[in-house]
Amino acid sequence: MTLLELDNVSVHYGRIQAIKDMSFTVEEGEIVSLIGANGAGKTTTMKTISGLLNPSAGSIRFAGKDITKMKAHIRVVQGISQAPEGRGVFPGMTVLENLDMGAFGRKDRSGMATDIARVFALFPRLEERQKQLGGTMSGGEQQMLAIGRALMSNPKLLLLDEPSMGLAPQFIRQIFKIITEINSQGTTVLLVEQNANQALARAHRAFVLETGEITHSGTGKELLANPAIKEAYLGVG
Amino acid sequence: MSMTDGPTPLSSAKAAQSAADREGLTTAPGASIAGRRGKKPGSLGQRWNALSRQQQWCFLIIVVVLAYLLPVINPPIITTEPGNNFGLACFDMARFALIAIGLNVVIGYAGLLDLGYVAFFAVGAYVSAMLTSPDSAFLKIPYLWTIPVAMAVTMFFGVILGIPTLRLRGDYLAIVTLGFGEIVRILATIIPAMKGQVGFQSVGHPPGTAADGNPIFTNSNGVPWYWLILTVIIIVLLLVGNLERSRVGRAWVAIREDEDAAEIMGVPTFKYKVWAFAIGASIGGLSGALFSGQVGFISNQRFDVYTSILFVAAVVLGGAGNKVGAIVGGALVSYIPLRFTAIAEYKYLIFGILLVVIMIFRSQGLFPARQKLLAYGRDAVKWMFKRDDGEHGTGAKRTTGTAQEKGAQA
Ligand SMILES: Nc1ncnc2c1ncn2[C@@H]1O[C@H](COP(=O)(O)OP(=O)(O)O)[C@@H](O)[C@H]1O
Ligand SMILES: [Mg+2]
Repeated sequence: MTLLELDNVSVHYGRIQAIKDMSFTVEEGEIVSLIGANGAGKTTTMKTISGLLNPSAGSIRFAGKDITKMKAHIRVVQGISQAPEGRGVFPGMTVLENLDMGAFGRKDRSGMATDIARVFALFPRLEERQKQLGGTMSGGEQQMLAIGRALMSNPKLLLLDEPSMGLAPQFIRQIFKIITEINSQGTTVLLVEQNANQALARAHRAFVLETGEITHSGTGKELLANPAIKEAYLGVG
Repeated sequence: MSMTDGPTPLSSAKAAQSAADREGLTTAPGASIAGRRGKKPGSLGQRWNALSRQQQWCFLIIVVVLAYLLPVINPPIITTEPGNNFGLACFDMARFALIAIGLNVVIGYAGLLDLGYVAFFAVGAYVSAMLTSPDSAFLKIPYLWTIPVAMAVTMFFGVILGIPTLRLRGDYLAIVTLGFGEIVRILATIIPAMKGQVGFQSVGHPPGTAADGNPIFTNSNGVPWYWLILTVIIIVLLLVGNLERSRVGRAWVAIREDEDAAEIMGVPTFKYKVWAFAIGASIGGLSGALFSGQVGFISNQRFDVYTSILFVAAVVLGGAGNKVGAIVGGALVSYIPLRFTAIAEYKYLIFGILLVVIMIFRSQGLFPARQKLLAYGRDAVKWMFKRDDGEHGTGAKRTTGTAQEKGAQA
């Protein structure tokens, strides 16, 4: 079943068009990767899906509903959750308070208890550091916290904006392993990355974004094998 | 409350151990955070949290009693006399403290830099004056009734001004709000019913006559007014304290720290910002109404941008986000020029320098906000682990149990 559908979406910042007639779908249960260089429009796409930005044209459907005009905080209740670029951890709140904020829109305490258990199982480090202030954690820990916090709303669709940004290589592998695990537990994942290697290897399907337009699409493996993409996004290493 | 009583539905000894560990963490959140922030041993917040509940209450009661007695004791050295009547000075300090508490909701909790707070103070003062002064053409009501009316009207103004402006962020909001104070002053000048510079004399006061037949509340005696406003402050503190610990308080902190992140956590950020603005406004109106009654004369000369900046200075000085800080900051901003009359003329210079010094050496203000957040932390811990309202045993046990099961699967 199609969980998310973007139909000819355009997004403008003032007069600058950051996204041009973008259309793609995310099926339930998938990991979909959107890769692109710096400034390609990845964050803009994510913010448009989570509702922080409004498209100037086109429509967005989620779980069969048109959500184009829906406010961001209501989309969370509908099942879209985002770990924003740069993590967006609340620096003055502890790990536990951050996770608590992730469940802000929820009222079912027993469900929340289950979800915090899930988060702690995925990220034992967060359980150890419950009382630490978000702002004092390392980059990798903050990324774990951002993902864990996003999971606290028990989303159908998890949006991850450059989860590997600024992390050491072994940490990147670990984060991607966990993303795969989250997906195997039943959460659909849409992630954007500059760092294409892991993102393509872990994805069911992937798209390449160039200056606001999708230029390539295929399975993760297909794109990984594509020489043009290899050259542009996978680098020498 | 305790997680130790009752049967423990844990599947393994390891899980039990982990529950015990977690309990160790959860039973003393204050202590563990204090330990972690060990670099500043014995800070006020830590010492406060180290006290037992009874000790805290005792301390608070002593502080409150001393506060009520302050103008009666009229302590030497601290007193503002002979330059300024100490009773009136106490009222003025309390008035600034109340203003700072209100502005702290806007700036400190929700992180909205409002440079035009004087507008709400002015609206409250005008409402009281226009509904009680014989110079006003409006209908007259008893003075005490003007207080809730002033609060309601300023709250309304808060919403009206907040809705278009709170879509702006940071600096833009600050610039727009800067205009509010001026708008009220100019309106007071051009609207005939508001009587510009002429203003309103003989603003009402609460009823009551002393033994000698004179009214208790007069313009020349600050003490009864001080007791009134102190009582109001205590009530406001209780209400604001409750808000701070509630869902609303959490939402404000989240908005202050990262508005976009708050929104995608499901916080209706705009609504909560308007609420902060409106609640702050009504407290500003409340202090305006009390000010109006005490001084007995209101005109457009009393409200300007400088006053607004002084209000902001009070909040920032005390430590934005901390209501104890707001009280101290507010009282200080009023007290310093009253006590040191020789330098009163240079108060803007002095507060300017003071602010710079504070920002360099103590950028969080005299009383940093984190101390207050601890209360929230305690609550978060509580609901995560303890408070499942006895539905199916305690959350902690189940949480741990599930964590272990999931962990085992992984
Ligand atoms: N707030 C903004 N105002 C104006 N232009 C912006 C803003 N944010 C991003 N852009 C522009 O939109 C384009 C896409 O940016 P972004 O989505 O952040 O790219 P990416 O996340 O792929 O690096 C860039 O050209 C960027 O300069
Ligand atoms: Mg980006």
